[in-house]
Amino acid sequence: MKKVAFKTLGCRLNQYETDALASQFQDKGYKLVQFDEAADVYVINSCTVTHQSDHKSRNFINQANRRNKDSVLVVTGCMANNAKEELENREEINYVVENDQKTSVFSLVDAHFKGEIVHPSKLNTDLFSYGATDKGFHTRSMIKIQDGCDNFCTFCIIPSVRGRAASRPIQDILKNIRDVISQGAKEIVITGVNIGRYDFEGYKFDDLIEQILDLDGDFRLRISSIEPDGFGAKFLGLLNHPKMTPHLHLCLQSGSESVLLQMRRMYTVKRFKEIVQVIRAKNPDFNITSDIIIGFPDESEEDFSATCDVIKELNFGHVHTFKYSVRKGTRAERMPNQIDERIKTNRSEILRDLSEETKLNYRKSFIGYYQSVLVEKIDGEIAGGYGEHYIPVQFTGKEIQKNHFYQVKITGIENGSDPILIGELV
Amino acid sequence: MRSHKVIEIRNLTSSTYVIRMEKNDFTFTTGQYITLGFTGSIDRREYSIYSSENDDFLEVLIKEVESGLVSKKLKRCKSGDYLDVDGPFGHFSLEESEIDKKKFLFIATGTGISPIHSFAKTHPEMNYQILHGVRIEEEAYEKQTYPNGKYILCTSREKTGDYHGRVTDYLLKNPIPSDTVCYLCGNCHMIYEAYDILEKQGITLGPIHTEVYF
Ligand SMILES: Cc1cc2nc3c(=O)[nH]c(=O)nc-3n(C[C@H](O)[C@H](O)[C@H](O)COP(=O)(O)OP(=O)(O)OC[C@H]3O[C@@H](n4cnc5c(N)ncnc54)[C@H](O)[C@@H]3O)c2cc1C
Ligand code: SF4
Repeated sequence: MKKVAFKTLGCRLNQYETDALASQFQDKGYKLVQFDEAADVYVINSCTVTHQSDHKSRNFINQANRRNKDSVLVVTGCMANNAKEELENREEINYVVENDQKTSVFSLVDAHFKGEIVHPSKLNTDLFSYGATDKGFHTRSMIKIQDGCDNFCTFCIIPSVRGRAASRPIQDILKNIRDVISQGAKEIVITGVNIGRYDFEGYKFDDLIEQILDLDGDFRLRISSIEPDGFGAKFLGLLNHPKMTPHLHLCLQSGSESVLLQMRRMYTVKRFKEIVQVIRAKNPDFNITSDIIIGFPDESEEDFSATCDVIKELNFGHVHTFKYSVRKGTRAERMPNQIDERIKTNRSEILRDLSEETKLNYRKSFIGYYQSVLVEKIDGEIAGGYGEHYIPVQFTGKEIQKNHFYQVKITGIENGSDPILIGELV
Repeated sequence: MRSHKVIEIRNLTSSTYVIRMEKNDFTFTTGQYITLGFTGSIDRREYSIYSSENDDFLEVLIKEVESGLVSKKLKRCKSGDYLDVDGPFGHFSLEESEIDKKKFLFIATGTGISPIHSFAKTHPEMNYQILHGVRIEEEAYEKQTYPNGKYILCTSREKTGDYHGRVTDYLLKNPIPSDTVCYLCGNCHMIYEAYDILEKQGITLGPIHTEVYF
């Protein structure tokens, strides 16, 4: 039996795509092994959003090659688009597969073992033909609804590496979800590059979400990462649907109006706050998590402190902070007043502390209340999973089963940078 | 990406020019932008579409930026050259349902007038006023194309405009009725300041009504 190992960097969309590829390989008789084990095929689903992600991708390429020099090494994902030539010139890499051909990684590897030489440029370019992700790595079933982005935020390389926005046909999405639910999926996660801009033959994002929520079955829906532009009041209304989980990862990027303008983000801090207020007016403990970029060109102390203020004010459940790093070909690359690395590091530390503090406060507020936990892993009598608010919860119990919901009363919280809630079965 | 043949270049000042290209089967919504570069070149930049939805050609209005790369190169293009056009992109668009009902104020600096020109030419029946901020009068690009009374020129370095000062000074002195729909395009500092002034005057701008160039 041939063995395949995957390494995924970057966003949830990459995560989803790896899951789907892993399912394909397993269906065709491959054994899925850990990336640090010897395998016949290594697939690195790379990311290029920051310098750090480029660096990590390169590291994993070296590791795979060291582990088995005769393996088939495939590099796909955003770095394959952004640094194609460099990667193609590296002898140890067998195939460099751009994002729009990622669905064909299995057929490429299969052809390779059959002695056929297929050039990646001849592959299928269907962005959505992955099939279900039932055998992947997660209990949550990710469903890809769109790819690409046309927003061109001035710091972002994604529109260049993921291409124009393209939405998957609504009927395909609904069928895909019905299929995974009938196979037992309990949590559906909507994924894509800029999902709020979903638009298929007049069906917008909120129309799609409404139809998904109307599907039968014992499942809950998670929206994952969304930009604050592109959706309206109808979507906010749907957030109170019983099948909808009370969690949104709403990307703020900066709490300064002038930085947001220079980023060409399509909302204001004021609009962002209004959205949060509307959501929390109906559901005060709704979990809003966010991304912040630190040290965007020309970010002053005042801009930075405006960001800190927003984080304090909005009681985020988690803030993912990124130090701004120049991506070639973006508008921000050409902006004057790039910020010194030391200042970025300093601001990052301040923000990380702040974010950990708000996260801890937010999570503590669940003590004494209940969570419906979808169990993902079991170790003896200790079960772990996520509650509907997307906070990790641990509890003990006998004969707990994976991929089942359990009502848990939260009794305490662990320490650490990602504090887990501790609970008791009810 | 498509290749469009250049029909002509129209020089409006020593640094600002309009490139007219064949439209082919390109369609867009007025207010959107394209990315433009010489065919085969990796250097591309965003430019708002200057022409109207209904014109049978495609135009962009470009100012050569000092020490700029692409705006300088494009200035040298000639009729018969081919340019690569990608797009259209962007959400700086009029609300279909508001066009014949609302009163609009379009505020622009410099070449930020480009999408506003396209708005006005696509929907001449619209009830609108343009406030254009420039340094000197010669930057009032093709102001004769706007009907009488629709275009107010603010010149900051000369007294030759309808108003001497910046658009933000004009707004402070001439408050805007709160039922006006405002669109702002051009440099970031003007947009930031004008936004603030307009909000204080009671205007709520939709999230999509700004287009930042630099
Ligand atoms: C959505 C959008 C629409 C745009 N529409 C137009 C348009 O209709 N007409 C137009 O002329 N430009 C427009 N621009 C600006 C344009 O994309 C380029 O930035 C501009 O032509 C300069 O490019 P360059 O390669 O010559 O200069 P670069 O080599 O990119 O930049 C050189 C330096 O000039 C600064 N700079 C960039 N743009 C300007 C500017 N406009 N004025 C002063 N300094 C600047 C940069 O920050 C940089 O420091 C638009 C930008 C965006 C984002
Ligand atoms: S919305 Fe902005 S940050 Fe998000 S993918 Fe698109 S360009 Fe990048």
